[in-house]
Amino acid sequence: MREIIEKAMAKGASSCEVFYLNSLRTSVDFETGRLKGVGRTEERGATLRLVKDGRMGLATSTKLDEVDRLVDDALATSAFGGKAEIEFAGAATLPGVETAHDDVENLDIDRVIEESQAEIARILDYEGEINAEASTLRDVQEIRVLTSEGFDGSFKRTLYRHHAGGRLIEGDNMLDAYAYFGGTNLDARRDIIAEVIEDFENGRTNVGVSTGPTNVLFTPRAVADVLMTLYLGVSGAMVDRKISPLAGKLGQTVFDERVTIYDDGLAKGAYESAPFDDEGVPMQRTPVFESGVLKNFLTDLRTARKLDLPLTGNALRAKRLVLTKDLGKVPSPEVTNWRMEGGTKSSDELLAGMKEGVIIDSIMGILMSNLTAGDFSGNVAYGLKVENGKTVGRVKDTMVSGNVYKLLRDNLLDLSSDTKLTGRLGVFGTHHFPYMLLKDVPISTKG
Amino acid sequence: MKDRLEQVVAKFASQCDYLEVHAEETEESRVTFSGPRLEDLGKKVDFGGNVRALYKGGWGFASFNSVDRIGEFAQNAIDQAKLVGAETSELAKTDPVRDDVLLDLKNDPRTISLEKKVEILKAYNEQALGYHERIVSSSTRYFDRNRKFWFANSEGSLVYQERVDIGGMVAPIAMKGGDSQYFGVPFGSSDDFNVALGLEKRIDEVCEISLGKLEAPKVKGGEYTVILDPRLGGTFIHEAFGHLSEADNVYEDKNLQKVMQLGREFGRPFLNVYDTGLDKGHRGYLVYDDEGVPTEKTYLLREGKLVGRLHSRETAGKMGERPTGNARQIDYRHEPVCRMRNTCIENGEASFDEMLAGIDLGVYCVSAQGGQTNGEMFTFTAGNAYMIRDGKLAEMVRDVTLTGNVFVTLKNIDALGNDQAAHDGPGGCGKAGQFPLQTSHGAPHVRIRNVVIGGE
Repeated sequence: MREIIEKAMAKGASSCEVFYLNSLRTSVDFETGRLKGVGRTEERGATLRLVKDGRMGLATSTKLDEVDRLVDDALATSAFGGKAEIEFAGAATLPGVETAHDDVENLDIDRVIEESQAEIARILDYEGEINAEASTLRDVQEIRVLTSEGFDGSFKRTLYRHHAGGRLIEGDNMLDAYAYFGGTNLDARRDIIAEVIEDFENGRTNVGVSTGPTNVLFTPRAVADVLMTLYLGVSGAMVDRKISPLAGKLGQTVFDERVTIYDDGLAKGAYESAPFDDEGVPMQRTPVFESGVLKNFLTDLRTARKLDLPLTGNALRAKRLVLTKDLGKVPSPEVTNWRMEGGTKSSDELLAGMKEGVIIDSIMGILMSNLTAGDFSGNVAYGLKVENGKTVGRVKDTMVSGNVYKLLRDNLLDLSSDTKLTGRLGVFGTHHFPYMLLKDVPISTKG
Repeated sequence: MKDRLEQVVAKFASQCDYLEVHAEETEESRVTFSGPRLEDLGKKVDFGGNVRALYKGGWGFASFNSVDRIGEFAQNAIDQAKLVGAETSELAKTDPVRDDVLLDLKNDPRTISLEKKVEILKAYNEQALGYHERIVSSSTRYFDRNRKFWFANSEGSLVYQERVDIGGMVAPIAMKGGDSQYFGVPFGSSDDFNVALGLEKRIDEVCEISLGKLEAPKVKGGEYTVILDPRLGGTFIHEAFGHLSEADNVYEDKNLQKVMQLGREFGRPFLNVYDTGLDKGHRGYLVYDDEGVPTEKTYLLREGKLVGRLHSRETAGKMGERPTGNARQIDYRHEPVCRMRNTCIENGEASFDEMLAGIDLGVYCVSAQGGQTNGEMFTFTAGNAYMIRDGKLAEMVRDVTLTGNVFVTLKNIDALGNDQAAHDGPGGCGKAGQFPLQTSHGAPHVRIRNVVIGGE
């Protein structure tokens, strides 16, 4: 990597930065109740960013034996590149955070297979007609950031992700139930099959619901999806582009005072935790909303400087929202691991107190909404109708929509005291969210 | 490279029932403006490959960046397959293919300098940003990829394919108060840089629509008769029926096989749906799939009845059907799975005016933001929409996301236009962690009764 820096500087760059990723992924997949495949993916590559004559150049390569080509490509793009608006990271004191764990790195594949088989057997024991699946992914990453300005850091990170569940087809009716856990260690393991069976059992009968404003209890998984609107809104990049509805509102009360959310880049066992971000800036725990007040935007080197905001260490090179590493992507401020504070009543108590409403656990199609404006609209993929504190059956062919900025300001009834590990779109990320009870959420359905 | 692949296959094939090796080299150029700022001008060189082994019905897979260690990865893949395999391997028979598919381009993006590409995109971006003071930002992007694929298998196939993939979008973002609205001009092609040229008129139109959306009310939620324009009609059929036709969902699930029995009626007699790899120029164009199987035009629905599905060699083999050339991988890091190519609804006979007539209250949905499905239910989001009142187009409305149910909604299609158009954009299709895969879709105008739209 040092060679890339040296060559770039020798060829006329005034400063430069190398991001290196070496990832070895192992996957074990069960489909239709049986072991279907075991896979191993090796990915090794580097991205060079450089400044020449005040302009930014960028090139990525997975052919690391061709260093000259990488450097020449980056120089070629700098000739027409954007104005350089950053200084690459210099040496810094880094926080201590454990990112690699032996229990994941030395994971015994035979054990994974046995445990998945046991999960599948339990699902089939509940109902033999279920098309049962289980999937495990283990990733061992080595990440290094090196700059001409004196930063040289590297760390190893282990990632583990497991989900299981299935599809039950009865006549033309399809019912999906899945659960998931993940982290940099195995501490988040839990009995997800009990949850899957409970979801199948509760969703097996379909019931009607009517169009109109409805009390909705969003489960932590649904909260993770609905809050994707905020992941964009708090990004320094969206503020810089003048399209965040939160722009100009730092220090102001924007939500109900019970809303407190932290972005924790140092959370123990969480996917995105690391000593430094993908630009070499130390990661940290950042209050985003405290008691309804907007406390911080999330920044990378460029937006912190441009907007005169503190560096928060949120630069990631990742596919937006799902945050899987993408070597070629320009770093931008992204959420790391979110934790939302809960309330005082348990989720069971919140449910028991609902006279009439809907529990929503999974929303389909939400990514196509105008999330930047805070709007979401999607099909209730898994939702249950609630009557007098109890679920009475599944709600189908129904849409839920709303504007998150308005709902979190005016419509919050309560948050559960219990929070749960969950990911965006069901499986991406390690966030902790409570159940969220909102009033007058727009629901549309047939008739 | 060909020799190398054949040597590996020859050396390792005897250890398993079937072995295939892929190698791939991609050169990518990207230009992205976010608002006035050139956010990304980048180049990427991506080289890698994979080995896939089948042993007693179980698959092993190993992908790599360093071709020098290909033997090690072949052994990995075989060992993994042996860990899995406990049944029998069944692949549909195909004739071994030895072929080179070379580029045949109309306007080759590789001949256009990076400087010129930046200049073209910058002009579009400035046009959008300068259109009105309320257009405060934009998302203007372009990419092209020049890709080479090598494929060899233990049955004697040896295929080399060159492919070009071009895509982009010019999207102004209008803002008023805290509300932002956007709309875009998407483009895409597998053989012609010209799709990125001459967009000025369309850009003015989408600027106007973005501004209009700021003033437009949100659609009121409920059940409507809708007319989809050809672009959204294509997204609709991709989500509503394309994914359910992917045979890897069906081939081992006996309950889904009952639901997806050939001959079952899904739509009215005028509904014909196909998926094809043969439409040159579209991003879903493909000569051989990633198992070296020649692609074709595959009918899914004929006269409303299920007549086919999208197969890999394994799904076709296990179901006793014909392979269709639908096994695709987004890149060498992933295994080929059953995917769409260019998925289309065939023309009907209705004119747009005939489709409008008789709708007392409905929604005309234009352009597509995307969609999603879970098999039975699906959603798709319009880029822009207008109310239909008393058989006439009326005011603009926004935030139109529609949902349907495959067993109900296809039968509720009661009119098809005679204006089929296939469309390409910069996006792609996602499945099984593989996103984005370049696909295309097409349709005429489509009228559907009783569609649920989300909203207050």
